[in-house]
Amino acid sequence: MSILGGGIFKGMAVTLRNFVGSYINKKERLPTNDYSWRADGALPQGIGDYPKEKGEQLSDTTTVTEYSRNFPMLLHDGGEPMDTVRCVACQICERECPPQCIYIEKDYDENGKYIKRPAVFDIDVSVCMSCQICVEVCPFDAIVMNSQFELSTPDRFGGLLVRRDDLLKSNDYYHQIHPEEAAARDQKMAVEKAAKEAKKKAAAEKAKAAAEKKAAEAAKEEAE
Amino acid sequence: MIPELLINILITTVPLMLIFATLFAFTTWLERKALARIQNRIGPNKVGIPCTRIGLFGLGQPAADGIKMIFKENIVPRGADRLFHLLAPILALIPAMLVLCFLPLDFPWVNEDSVKAYLLDGAVIFFFAITGLNTLAVFMAGWASRNKYSLLGGMRAVAQMVSYEIPLVLSAVIVVMMVGSLNAAEIAGVQMRENWFVFSPWGFAAFVIFFIAALAETNRSPFDLPEAESEIIAGYFTEYSGFKFALFFLGEYIAMFAISGLAVTLFLGGGDGPGVTLDQGLPTEAFPGLAVIWFLMKIFALIAMMIWLRGTLPRLRVDQLMGFAWKFMLPLSILNILVAGFAWHAERLGNTYITVTTWVISLAILYGAASGLNQLNRGKVRPREYKYAE
Repeated sequence: MSILGGGIFKGMAVTLRNFVGSYINKKERLPTNDYSWRADGALPQGIGDYPKEKGEQLSDTTTVTEYSRNFPMLLHDGGEPMDTVRCVACQICERECPPQCIYIEKDYDENGKYIKRPAVFDIDVSVCMSCQICVEVCPFDAIVMNSQFELSTPDRFGGLLVRRDDLLKSNDYYHQIHPEEAAARDQKMAVEKAAKEAKKKAAAEKAKAAAEKKAAEAAKEEAE
Repeated sequence: MIPELLINILITTVPLMLIFATLFAFTTWLERKALARIQNRIGPNKVGIPCTRIGLFGLGQPAADGIKMIFKENIVPRGADRLFHLLAPILALIPAMLVLCFLPLDFPWVNEDSVKAYLLDGAVIFFFAITGLNTLAVFMAGWASRNKYSLLGGMRAVAQMVSYEIPLVLSAVIVVMMVGSLNAAEIAGVQMRENWFVFSPWGFAAFVIFFIAALAETNRSPFDLPEAESEIIAGYFTEYSGFKFALFFLGEYIAMFAISGLAVTLFLGGGDGPGVTLDQGLPTEAFPGLAVIWFLMKIFALIAMMIWLRGTLPRLRVDQLMGFAWKFMLPLSILNILVAGFAWHAERLGNTYITVTTWVISLAILYGAASGLNQLNRGKVRPREYKYAE
């Protein structure tokens, strides 16, 4: 039998550990205010301070931690963004988005044929809750989280709707802001690609074998 | 004669108001800092000396908050009862301020002629009577705002505060029984002479019940249902802004101080502590004001406990809240009165052996009753069955 009210003491021990730990072990208990991972080891003036004046530059990509995430972006593989964009406008993320802040329209060429890219891809900043579900469900690794957090705008309507062209970011930029995550994703994509090719190859071989078998059977029949 | 009396009254009341208003400002800062640390944040650290970048750990935050509150617009909803909308925050603050004078704080500047309300026979009764007015203020705010969330918050507050007042008073009754007096100074004095009431089985149980009921009375987490942000916006002060809101806020914290002060008086020995000794039955301090310092430090210990609990526990459901008051706290506090009554008679016998036996038996009874009530109330809850998930 457990002690009466034991759960409360357990919870209080957890919060106490957090409280005391935040003074002793800053790296573990105040993760968002820790800058020791920076290559130059320099702390911005006043740990965790947000700049008071604009020019102070804290929102550049080097001052946020690896796994910080705020708002989605669309990846392309370099060059002309719309030529190498990974998104095929399958609209899975649009359907899965809990607050329904994504709006996608498919792109068609002049003959009315569907070309695999989005004509419109809008995300509403005011509705997005940074849940990352769009990233989880995307089968093409086309949408990932950006760590850009200064998204405020004086325009309440148009300014809060981020358009396709503003969402497009290169894979190099992704590597720059989230190196570990990007490398893992690239590796995963390579493995998937290899598996797909192997499968394709196997299928081709199987088809070939089947054809040979069929030919052999046909030859056998002919012989009979 | 009358000006003299007025001066004597002011000597005791004005410092009380100033001290506790200052402590309020400091406590808001402390609470925000502590909660931030519990939640892996730093908390306010920007507002310090104006026009410089010296943060002073954000100690200027209360001043900044106050200035902001004063200059904010006073908005009264259309169709609201303007008079009661104005009266409610004032009525929330006044009883909280008023009961501070029933705390046995012997300030060094208080002399023979000063008016000391805590020497009143029945100070404890007065305390509960006046604190009860707070319920009215809260409901007045909810009603006068003409807003469904305010009204819901007000209704919840009334139900909660009325329910928890009973275990609160019943646990205070034990101390009154033991001392045989309602005089706050007498109660503190007895503990200075003998033992703090918290260091006995019935006293400890009463203290725990009192503390939990005090949390509910002051609408503190985990009993902050009247102002549950995630459910009813801000409860009864949804429609309050600017200085009226600040008054509510101030009243809430002063009420916290007052009820903690009462807990210190009743259970934690009042101004007793190292350096405060008894000389021929009268307390003497190593230097003037030491007893007051001890008293305020004990209050702060209780406030820190409240903040810690706020950072730890999630909010209760309404049925859990009511069930806890009526099915757990009330029977336990009634049983505790019986135990304390028997123990008082047993201790009068003056036999050490009997006293020790009484302690052990009452400890067993109280713990057994608490566990039993817990099991009894727990019985209906089945483990959750998952239909689809593994």
